[in-house]
Amino acid sequence: MNALSFIPLLLALILSPLLFGVINRTKALFAGRRGQPLLQTYYDLWKLLRKGAVYSRTTTWIFRAGPMVGLAAAWVAATLVPLGNFPALIAFPADFLLFAGLLGLMRFFTVVAALDTGSSFEGMGASREVFFSALTEPALFVVLATLARQTGQLSLSTMFEPVSGADWLHGGPVLALVIIALMIVLLAENARIPVDDPNTHLELTMIHEVMVLDHSGPDFAFILYAAALKLWMLGALVLSMVLPSSGGNPWLSLALVSGGMFGLAVVIGVIESVMARLRLLVVPQLLIGAGAVATVALILTLR
Amino acid sequence: MKHEALLWLLILVPAATGALALLLRSVRTILGAMCAGVGISVALGWYVAGKVLMSGPVSAGAEWLYLDALSAYNLGVMLLIYGLSSAYASVYFRVELREGHLTLKQARLFASLWCGALAAMTLVFISNNLGIMWVGIEATTLLTGFLICVHVTGESLEAMWKYILICSVGVAFAFMGTLLVGASAHGLGLRAPEVLLWTRLQAHAGSLNPACLKAAFIFLLVGYGTKAGLAPMHNWLPDAHSQAPAPVSAIFSGFMLNTALYCVMRYVPIVEAGTGNTGWGLRLLTGFGLISILVAAAFILFQHDLKRLLAYHSVEHIGIITLGVGLGGLGTFAALFHTLNHSLCKTLAFFAAGRLGQMFGTHDMRKLAGVMRVAPVWGMGLFGSLLALIGVAPFALFMSELQMLKAAVDKGAILALVLFLFGAGVVFVGALGHAIPLAWGKAASTVQPARAGTLETLLVVVPLVFLLVLGLWMPGPLQTALNAAADVIRHVSPALAGSPGGIMP
Amino acid sequence: MTDLILVLVVLTNLKLLGSSRLGASIRVVAAQGVMLGLLPVLAHVHELSLHFAALAVGTVALKGVVFPWLLFRALREAEVTREVEPYVAYITSILIGLAALAASFWLGGRLPVSTVEPSSLLVPSALFSILAGLFLIVARKRAVNQVLGFLVLENGIYTFGVGIVAETPFLVELGVLLDAFVAVFVMGIAVYHINREFDHIEVDRLDRLKG
Repeated sequence: MNALSFIPLLLALILSPLLFGVINRTKALFAGRRGQPLLQTYYDLWKLLRKGAVYSRTTTWIFRAGPMVGLAAAWVAATLVPLGNFPALIAFPADFLLFAGLLGLMRFFTVVAALDTGSSFEGMGASREVFFSALTEPALFVVLATLARQTGQLSLSTMFEPVSGADWLHGGPVLALVIIALMIVLLAENARIPVDDPNTHLELTMIHEVMVLDHSGPDFAFILYAAALKLWMLGALVLSMVLPSSGGNPWLSLALVSGGMFGLAVVIGVIESVMARLRLLVVPQLLIGAGAVATVALILTLR
Repeated sequence: MKHEALLWLLILVPAATGALALLLRSVRTILGAMCAGVGISVALGWYVAGKVLMSGPVSAGAEWLYLDALSAYNLGVMLLIYGLSSAYASVYFRVELREGHLTLKQARLFASLWCGALAAMTLVFISNNLGIMWVGIEATTLLTGFLICVHVTGESLEAMWKYILICSVGVAFAFMGTLLVGASAHGLGLRAPEVLLWTRLQAHAGSLNPACLKAAFIFLLVGYGTKAGLAPMHNWLPDAHSQAPAPVSAIFSGFMLNTALYCVMRYVPIVEAGTGNTGWGLRLLTGFGLISILVAAAFILFQHDLKRLLAYHSVEHIGIITLGVGLGGLGTFAALFHTLNHSLCKTLAFFAAGRLGQMFGTHDMRKLAGVMRVAPVWGMGLFGSLLALIGVAPFALFMSELQMLKAAVDKGAILALVLFLFGAGVVFVGALGHAIPLAWGKAASTVQPARAGTLETLLVVVPLVFLLVLGLWMPGPLQTALNAAADVIRHVSPALAGSPGGIMP
Repeated sequence: MTDLILVLVVLTNLKLLGSSRLGASIRVVAAQGVMLGLLPVLAHVHELSLHFAALAVGTVALKGVVFPWLLFRALREAEVTREVEPYVAYITSILIGLAALAASFWLGGRLPVSTVEPSSLLVPSALFSILAGLFLIVARKRAVNQVLGFLVLENGIYTFGVGIVAETPFLVELGVLLDAFVAVFVMGIAVYHINREFDHIEVDRLDRLKG
C-alpha cells in the first residue's frame, strides 16, 4: 500500500461536493442565469454543521442514527472504488458485493429514518425510493456480473481498469451497453432528473428529497455529503469505462480523472436541462430498460 | 424446345387472363374470359403433364422450371379442379348477379385474383428452385386472401385477417426451412444459382449436412403444414373456408391445401436420403397426419355449419394423405391417389353447399334440411359427396383408404392403424348423423324448390361417376402415373438409383 | 461493425416489446429494416458486387420507406396511436424478451449452421427477431402491432438468410421482397377495412367465428 492508493479516497472526500456546484452551474448557464457559486455546497455544509438539530417528539433513535449510518456507509464504500488508473485503497475479490451492500445499507437507513417520522409524505417518498431501487439494483448487479465475466476479475479495482482501444474493437457493443446501463443506474441512484428532480418544491412529486425533509442541521449536512459521495463513486465507475488509459503517469491520470469527473457533472447538468422528469408510471420502464440493456450485455459476454 | 415454351405459357396464360379481366366492362364477359383462360391453361397443362408422365421430366429456363412425374400429376389434378371450379364459379356468380349481390368491381377483383392464384399455384408446381416454389406459395396466400372477402362483411374480414396472418407467419417459417436446406448444402461447391435447385439437392442428398436438414424439415413441415391445414396449425382453415364464396372454398379445400402439402412431399426424398434413410422424416409426417385426423374427428362431431363441417373434413383428409406419405411404400401411392379422390369429392361438396346455401340463405345445418326434395340434383351431389368423404364402400376414397390400411399393416404400424381407424370411425358416425337429416329432414316451407340447368347437372354427375368408377376400376395409365409420382417421393428413380447421393458426373 | 448492427437490432426488438406507441414502433421497425438492408453490404464489403448493392437499395427503400408509409397511412385512417391493454404487459414482455434472447443464444450455439459471415452474433440475433416477432403477434391486440410483429419475424429470417446463404440467387431474393411488400400492402388494406367495418382495429374483438 503506497501513498498513491489514498488518492482516490482523498479526491472523493474533498472534491465530491464540488460536483453539485458544477451541475448547478451548467443548469444555470442553460437557463441564462449566472447561478450559485461553484463552492456553494461547501458553504451549505459549513452552515449546516454550525446549526443545531431539531428533532420531532415522535421520532426515536433510528431517526438520529439514519444520517450517521448513511455517511459512514458512503465513506467505507468510497474506500472500495477505484478512480481512473488509481486502484482503490482496499481491494479484495468480490468486494463489489460489499460495495453494493453498503449502498443498500445507506438507502435502508435513509428509508427507515424517513418512516420513523410518521409523516405520510415521507412514507410516500420511502415507498417510491424502495420500489425504484429494487429495479435499479438488478441492473447494477447485472452490469457488475457482465464486467466480472468480461475481465475475469472479481474486484472493483481490477474490473474497472481503464479500457484500451483494443477492448473497444473487441467488445465494443458490450462496453457501450454497459456504459448506457451504468449511466441510467447513476441517474436513478442519485435522484437525478429523468427519475427524480432534486430541485422540485412539491412534496407530491419528490422521491429522495421528501425523505429527508425532517432532518436539520448537522444531520442534513451528513445526508448532503453522503449524497455527494455516492454521486462521485458511481461517477468514478462510469468514468473508468470511458477514460483512456494514461500509461502509468500519475500526474496525467490525476488530470484525466478530475477533468473527466467534472465533464461528467457537466453532462448530467445538460441532461437535466434538456430533459423533463418522467412520469412516475414511466420510470419503472426506464429502469427495466436499463436492466434489459445490461442483460443483453451479459448475454453477449456469456456466449 | 417446344416443351420449354409450353412451361412458360402455363404461367403466362392465367396471368394474362387475370390482367385482362381488370379491363373488361361486363360481368358476363369477365366470367366468360376467366373460363376461357382457365380452359386454355387446362388444355396446355394436361398436354404437358401427359407428355411428362409418358416420357420423363422436362425442364426449361436454365433448369429453373422443371416438371417431373410428381409435379405433373399434381398439376394435372389441380387443373382438373380449377377447370370444374371455374365452370361452377360462372354458374354461382350468375345467380349472385341476378340477385344483385355482385358488382362489376367485385367481379373484376374476383376474376383477376382467381386467375392470378392459378398462375401462382402453377408456378409452385413447375418451379425447380425451392425458393421460387416458396414465392409461389406465399403469392397464393396473398392473392387468395382477398378472394375470401369478395363480399366484405365482419365475418369475412375476420376470416381473411386470420388467414393472411397465420398463413404468412407459417409460410415465413417454411422460408426459414428453405434457407436451412440451402445452408445444409454449404461446402458442396454448388454455384449460387444452383444452391436451391431441387434436382441438384436431390442428386447430392447423401452428402448434405444431416443435422441442418433435420432442423430444416421441422421448419418446413410446420410452415407448409400451416398452409396445408395440418392440425394443430389448422385454426385459420374452418374460418376461411366457411366465409369464402363457394367456388373459392372449393379451390381452397380442393387444391390449395394440397399445393402446400406438395411442397412438403418435394422435400421428403431429400430429407430421407440426407438423414440416411432412417425414416425420421416419415415418422414426423405420420405423427402430424394422425393428430390431424383425430382433431378433425373431434370437431366434426359438434359442428352445425355445413361449410365448417366440410372444412374439418379437409383437415381430416389432409391428415390422411400426410399419414399415407409417412407410411411409405404402398402408402405413398395411396396418398397420391387419395389426393385426386379427395379433391374431386370435396370440390363437389363445396359446389353443392354453395348452391344450397344460396337457395336456403344459410349454411346452418339445423335449418338446411330435406335438400333432396328442394333441389334433387344438388341434394344428391351433397349427400353423395358426404358419403364418399366418410369412406363409404364403392367410392374411390374407400379404395385409397383401404390401400393405406394395407400399407400400415405391411409396415407393422399398429398404433397408427388403430388411431386411423378410430378417427375414421368417429368421422363416419358424426358425419352420417349430420348427413341424413340434411338429405331427408323436413324442409322449411319458405324455400322454393329450384331446378338445375344442364351445366349444373353435369357438374354434379361427372365427379360422382368419376369417383364411382375409380372406386371400382383403376385405369392403367392412371396407375402408371401414380406409380411414377410415388417413385419420386420414394426416391427410386432409375436415373438416380446408380449414384446414391454420389458425385454428379 | 456488423456486430454493432446486430446488437442494435436486438435492442430495437426489446424496445418494440416495451413500447405502447404505434407510431414510435413503426419508426423503430423502419430503422431496423434500414440497418438490416445495410447488413449484407457491410458483410461483403471487400467483394461488393452489383447484386449486393441492388439488394441493399431495394431492402432499404422497401423496409425503410415504403412499409412505414403504408403503415402510417393505415394508422391515420384508423385514427389510433397506441396499443391498449395488451394481453401481456410491457414490462413482462421485456422480461419474456430477455428470456427469449438467452434462449436464442443457447439455441444459436447449438444449431449446426456454418455461418458464411464471421459474426457469431448473427444466428442468435436472427432467432431472437423471429421469437420477438411471434411474441408481438400473439401478445398484442392492435392489428397494426401484429403487422409489425410479422415484419420483425420477416427481418429475423432475412438476417438469417444474409448469414447462412450468402449466395441466394438474386431472383429468389427479389421474389421474397416482392412477397413481403404485397403482404404488408394486403394487411394495410385489411386494417383499413376492419376499421371501417368494426370501428376499431382491435383483433381480440374479431371473435365471431368459433368452433
